[in-house]
Amino acid sequence: MLFSLRELVQWLGFATFEIFLHVLALLVFSVLLVLKVDSGGAELSWWQVFIPFFAADGLSTYFTTIVSVRLFQDGEKRLAVLRLFWILTLLSLKFVFEMLLCQKLVEQTRELWYGLIMSPIFILLQLLMIRACRVN
Amino acid sequence: MRMSLAQRVLLTWLFTLLFLIMLVLKLDDKAPWNWFLIFIPVWIFDTILLVMLIVKMAGRCKSGYDPRNGSQNVKKKAWYLIAMLLKLAFCLALCAKLQQFTEMKLVYVFIPLWALLMGGMIELGYNIFYVRRD
Repeated sequence: MLFSLRELVQWLGFATFEIFLHVLALLVFSVLLVLKVDSGGAELSWWQVFIPFFAADGLSTYFTTIVSVRLFQDGEKRLAVLRLFWILTLLSLKFVFEMLLCQKLVEQTRELWYGLIMSPIFILLQLLMIRACRVN
Repeated sequence: MRMSLAQRVLLTWLFTLLFLIMLVLKLDDKAPWNWFLIFIPVWIFDTILLVMLIVKMAGRCKSGYDPRNGSQNVKKKAWYLIAMLLKLAFCLALCAKLQQFTEMKLVYVFIPLWALLMGGMIELGYNIFYVRRD
């Protein structure tokens, strides 16, 4: 509503299918989270709850690699490398955030404070802002 | 009233950043605030979006508006309005749950979010499979 799908694709650099994948992961994750919290948390470990996100990251990386290889073969080398780097940066930042959060939830250590866990997200936000200036 | 992409991105970015900073402060026990206060950036952002949407929808009621060119458009706007309300309901329920106003199960908190995500996925799926790329 605030952004059209087209603008989102341009801005984030993800294909529509990848956005779909991540939304699906969020949906499955929320279901697992509810199962975990409402049942007292006996059956599911936090790592299992986070599986949808890890799976989505993996699939998205695979998809991006394929697209980049195809672009490279078609002679669009610059575009292929740029796309690969951008998506890998985004995905790795997201992955680090998920890993840290999961670790925190499992171990509840004091050293891992939430500012530290969120730091990949803050970096991600700055990168997205810079990219938004370039998209225009 | 049409904002450029940069303005919209800046708006989203600013409110997301503010919300995340407040969230981190709250989670690290640096700020002993109420959860409803932590969500203030979300409330403001949602209000702005809702007002913009309602103003646009109200624009149809102006005299001299040609209704022939927008039956598709109005459905879309209605869906956006419902989506916004679902998101708002989810945030409110989440706050109430976190603040322990009510003893409800987490399932009820997440029902609006699931409806929203389902709707979003249907729209995305429609865009992937049925709309021809231009």
